[in-house]
Amino acid sequence: MSEPRLISSYLAVLAAQLPAPIVEELADGLTETHRSYLRQGLAPDRAAESAVAEFGEPQAIVAEFARVNPARRAARRLLGIGPVVGACWTVALITDRAGSWPVPLAVRVLVGVALITFIALLAAAALSMRYRLAARAGVAGCIGMATLDAVLITGVTFASAPLTWVMLAAMAASTARIAFTARSLVPALAR
Amino acid sequence: MRAEELKGHLDAVLLAALEGGPRHGYAVIESLRQSTGGRLDLPTGTIYPALRRLEQAGLITGSWSVVGGRRRREYRLTAAGTRALTGKRADWLDFSAMVSSALEGRPCPSPV
Repeated sequence: MSEPRLISSYLAVLAAQLPAPIVEELADGLTETHRSYLRQGLAPDRAAESAVAEFGEPQAIVAEFARVNPARRAARRLLGIGPVVGACWTVALITDRAGSWPVPLAVRVLVGVALITFIALLAAAALSMRYRLAARAGVAGCIGMATLDAVLITGVTFASAPLTWVMLAAMAASTARIAFTARSLVPALAR
Repeated sequence: MRAEELKGHLDAVLLAALEGGPRHGYAVIESLRQSTGGRLDLPTGTIYPALRRLEQAGLITGSWSVVGGRRRREYRLTAAGTRALTGKRADWLDFSAMVSSALEGRPCPSPV
């Protein structure tokens, strides 16, 4: 049985915004809903209209899937714990007079730009109601932030500066964030 | 029941719909429709992301099969989902008893 054009175009709207497995599941449900209306005696086109109306606005469905996207949820959590890790590093770098370390200005600027970029990506993922944008920005922001944490830890380790307890606390906070990010990203990358 | 009223209890009713055994998305919707006497007023397309959310929380697990040439995702309760359902059911009975007592002006029975 060929599906009515209304159902095909409805699914095409979803397919343009959601991954194939999700669309396949929705297509199965929509087809069953359409068949249910056919069994009730409605004409095919009328049954399709009723099925689509019952399913709801495609944008509402996309927004709900975006909301439960693992990458979006990971981004929101990282934004939540970010100020704590950031505060640890701020205190550590000020206390240890990191301003006097022999780090080239270009590297300092690069780290600052990277930090702002990754925070922007995480914010885009956390706020977006578009599934693919939330997924891509979330994964990129999480990986970027974990990389930045690793760079900071490595940089401080090889900076030949004395490791004070505040610096160790900042490094521990970053290490914990890397582990948390890795665990959060597994379900995001699995789909 | 209006969508907004149902939203806070959606997880519990979805878990309850899967208590009788594994179901795919449409069968979950049909089960809800029957158990609510057709009063469920929710865009049914939004049930699917809710099922994904419960799956991510480890309360249900999903698996694919092929039926009539179409891929179909079927869900079943996990042990954690069964425990969560028991807890949510007890919470609801306690809450509804309290509100009923308040609305009817009679003393609230002690929670069990």
